[in-house]
Amino acid sequence: MKPALTRMLLASAASLLFIAAPALADKIRIGSPYQTSTLDPMRSAAAGSIETFGQLYSRLLRIDEAGQLAPGLAETWEVSEDGKIITLTLRDAKFSNGEPITAEDVVFSLLRVRDTPDSAYPAPIQTLDTAEAVDASTVKLTLKHAFAPFLGNLEVFNAGIVSKADVEARGEAAFVENVVTSGPYMVEAWIPNDRLIIAPNPNYWRTGFPKNEGAELIEIPAATTRVSMLLSGELDVVRDVPWSQVAEVTANPGYAMPMEPSTVVYVGLLNHARPPFDNIAVRQAAAMALDTAAIAQAVTFGAAKPANSTIPNTLKYYDPDLKVNGFDPAAAKAMIDSSGYDGSELTILVSESAESEQQAVLMQALWAQIGLKAKIEKADAGTFWSRLTSGDYDATPTWYYNETTDPDLAVRWALCGACGNNAYYTFYANPEVDKLVEQGAAELDETKRAAIYAEMQRITTTEVSQIPIYYPPFANAYSTALHGLGMTPALQWTLEGATLDK
Amino acid sequence: MHYLTFIGRRLLHIVPVLIGISLVSFLLVMLVPGDPVRLVLGPRATDDAVAAMREAWGLDRSLLSQYLTYVGNVVQGNLGDSLKYRLPVWDLIAQYLPRTAFLIGYVLAMTVPVTVLLAVTAARREGDWPDQVIRLLSVLGMTIPVFWLAVIFARLFGIQLGWFPVSGYGEGFLGHLHHLFLPAVSTSLWLAPVLTRNLRGALVQQMDADYVAACRAKGLPERLIFRRHILPNSVLPTLNLLGVMIAFLIGGSVVVEIVYAVPGLGALMIGAVLGRDYFVIQGLTLVYALVTVLVTLVIDLLTAAIDPRTVG
Amino acid sequence: MTETSAINLPARDRPRLKKGTIELAIGVLIVGAWILAAAGAGIVAPADPNALDLAAVLAPPGPAHLMGTDNLGRDILSRVIHGARIDIWMGFIGVLAPLCIGVLVGLVSGYYGGMTDTILMRLVDITVAFPFFILVIAIVGLLGPGLANYFVALGLVAWVAYARLVRAEVLVVKRLEFVQAAKALGFPDRAILFRHVLPNVLGSITIYAWTDAVMVILAGASLGFLGLGAQPPTAEWGVMISDGQPYIVQAWWICFFPGLAMVTLSLGFILISDGLSRRLRVSQ
Repeated sequence: MKPALTRMLLASAASLLFIAAPALADKIRIGSPYQTSTLDPMRSAAAGSIETFGQLYSRLLRIDEAGQLAPGLAETWEVSEDGKIITLTLRDAKFSNGEPITAEDVVFSLLRVRDTPDSAYPAPIQTLDTAEAVDASTVKLTLKHAFAPFLGNLEVFNAGIVSKADVEARGEAAFVENVVTSGPYMVEAWIPNDRLIIAPNPNYWRTGFPKNEGAELIEIPAATTRVSMLLSGELDVVRDVPWSQVAEVTANPGYAMPMEPSTVVYVGLLNHARPPFDNIAVRQAAAMALDTAAIAQAVTFGAAKPANSTIPNTLKYYDPDLKVNGFDPAAAKAMIDSSGYDGSELTILVSESAESEQQAVLMQALWAQIGLKAKIEKADAGTFWSRLTSGDYDATPTWYYNETTDPDLAVRWALCGACGNNAYYTFYANPEVDKLVEQGAAELDETKRAAIYAEMQRITTTEVSQIPIYYPPFANAYSTALHGLGMTPALQWTLEGATLDK
Repeated sequence: MHYLTFIGRRLLHIVPVLIGISLVSFLLVMLVPGDPVRLVLGPRATDDAVAAMREAWGLDRSLLSQYLTYVGNVVQGNLGDSLKYRLPVWDLIAQYLPRTAFLIGYVLAMTVPVTVLLAVTAARREGDWPDQVIRLLSVLGMTIPVFWLAVIFARLFGIQLGWFPVSGYGEGFLGHLHHLFLPAVSTSLWLAPVLTRNLRGALVQQMDADYVAACRAKGLPERLIFRRHILPNSVLPTLNLLGVMIAFLIGGSVVVEIVYAVPGLGALMIGAVLGRDYFVIQGLTLVYALVTVLVTLVIDLLTAAIDPRTVG
Repeated sequence: MTETSAINLPARDRPRLKKGTIELAIGVLIVGAWILAAAGAGIVAPADPNALDLAAVLAPPGPAHLMGTDNLGRDILSRVIHGARIDIWMGFIGVLAPLCIGVLVGLVSGYYGGMTDTILMRLVDITVAFPFFILVIAIVGLLGPGLANYFVALGLVAWVAYARLVRAEVLVVKRLEFVQAAKALGFPDRAILFRHVLPNVLGSITIYAWTDAVMVILAGASLGFLGLGAQPPTAEWGVMISDGQPYIVQAWWICFFPGLAMVTLSLGFILISDGLSRRLRVSQ
């Protein structure tokens, strides 16, 4: 009797231990520092939520594996001669709750992003004048004027289609519980500040997709912890491996780091609204003092490419041959001396990220060599943004990325002084550049567009609207048990086609 | 004084404290610079969207009017909604409270027995080599930063040896024990020295007390004196210290929660502070404060029950 | 104290140092050495702590760099020595500010009693209710990272421990004969408080303050880890440790040496605290 009892106890203890093993073993576990803060595609334009929206909501068009625009919810589309009217024909598709996706839903979703007062990022469809549901499967979009990037912008993260009936009935609650989705996945559980668990959407329009059991998007702010979790087998994918740990991860045969190209560019923003950077000579000297190759080497261990232009190197019309204000400390020193700079101390504002801090330290040291004195002020993200937007800084190393490979949104954000955010809050304003921005968007001829954007890059880089520093790839690490998972330049996981070996 | 009167008076003391706590937790986030809305909407949000959201959330109203709304809601048990997640703050807290509570319980269960053993050994052999060794170890334990230890442990026991998971909370009771082992040990290695030093100090002080000398003079065996007199008299100060330490741990668990990716209250707090999620910070500090007040109250009542002299 | 020492009188004939003297001496030696190094950092340190050398990044400890270099090629030894300035300063100010506030509140509260005492003690209760680290994180996080804001946070939060300590001591000292006598002779309150009461409570405060300095330095390091620490490129040990931890496999020396520095300085503080408390206990 007694041994039997012992055995029983041991068995039950063992079974308890087995329960302790993760129950979601078949899901792809993705660790990222970026958080899902909302499931409503209109509500956030922050990394984390962007990745999530792509998995939950289908757009009218999609980017295929080759990076080209391909049919999404719209099976075909037609653009009128003058480029102002776009007619799209929807395919036979259903929401996760089994209801059909109609032209009404499309019109509702697009206008919602454009018109809601606190919609986070209406810019991509700002040129949309009217949207009309011609019949259940035909949508007619009329633009205010010809706008080359429009089709590409229909692929952006917040252009995902939501259910009109459900959102009208439940309001914000529609994005908290039993969320109706149109993309490859549905929400299985959302634990804010921890993780989002997604499961395949059985009604997804692409037959045979998704090819996996879903995923867990786990939020882990500490970089070393993410890497530890990957190496101990607690994650399959890690976003943003610290550059210092790339060598360690790649040395391990169980993991691959393909270093996918991104649309991220690190730039040194300069405040043009006050001395000394209101002076073009000081700006050019500041740019020439920065050894961007050495900075890229020191911070990213050579993973990033030194930048030569004000726009990301993965965008269409990026000019690889542009060479102005290259590293030349002697010339920079001479320029500073004759510029009239009074020697007063600058403030380099920096937000709390190891990468930006290192850039700030390097910036400070390199500028000191040409006699440009600077002190570093670290700020948390909240203060950083309020100081940046109000122009309370002299210089700051920071970054931006672009949602599409078309440069329109990038130049509006970073270079245009008349597009609402003062050229990434540098207060750089050159009417000629502003005019080129509109010309580039309205021009439908490829060669002419290319020329316009080349000119824009030449002017802004020469005038140092900001200092281009480097173009980093995505430092994502993948377990070799995973196949077909990657990240597109627009921050979207190619999750639906990925498979996980068991 | 009667025990019930004592309880009544003690509860009455809490009222002004609660009002003060509500004021502090409110002003804490309202008086400082920084824009929460921009962080919620994302960097590329338009200025119009930012203004619209500020208005929608009442962030443009006067301080007093915001405070009154806040207190009115808190009294009804409503901590408001998170700016970032647009979910009730209480739901967020309720989700993570059990995890942090489990971690703290785990740490205490690990720490207290070790502490008593070490402190008693050290005190009974004061000045002798076991005492010196224990004191040296406890000094070392106190001076090593927890986050550093945590990173090393994750490397060694998580990756190199693969004995324990380096993250998460796990499923089921044993799962929790397994997943939280490294976080608990890391915290314990810091807490045990603090407690040991204090308990040892209290014990040694008791050993010098007059009544112990009297016992010795009567020829009572040392072992008996220690167990019957010194130990019970050292319990009270240690109990008080434990109360302080629990309060400290509630906040001190932040770092290990971050290093070991345990989604608990600490991780929620850090996310809220860095993301300026005003109402989560308010709600959390309020809940932290209430828990601390409660723990202190319980300890006080226990002390009074054990030693009626403190009632007066 | 051994088990038999109370019955058989301790051997007084052997010349023995007072209890706690050894600890105190070692503690003072360690802390003194660090203060000297910090004061003479400009002379002692072999290099400029912020000088970058991108040609010699992550160099292991060797003749050129005794403690190696970090990811930007800065000399760790020089940074550790210069960091001593920051960390000793941090321990000093971080303790002194709350100490002054706390002592004042404790003295007034304990000496006058009544309504003053009630109000001040409720203030203490309110502050104590917020977990120390949470309040510090909230204040530093909201005001912005950096040492200055850390001191503000400590000043706002850490004084309560001193206030309670002092108040308890004052309540005892107040009843002592010489204080009563001074009162009866019509000495002004301020004179009694500072000339007679304060000296009597200083002992226990000093003992606590040395341990508190360790807490201040450790909590400061944790803030650095959470991204709320000293401004770059300031060489501060806590920030150096947390910045160095991604390199733990590649370049262990980046966080090992500042860690060692932190442990030795803290050890010095605690030994002083221990030594003082043992001597004080013996003398009473």
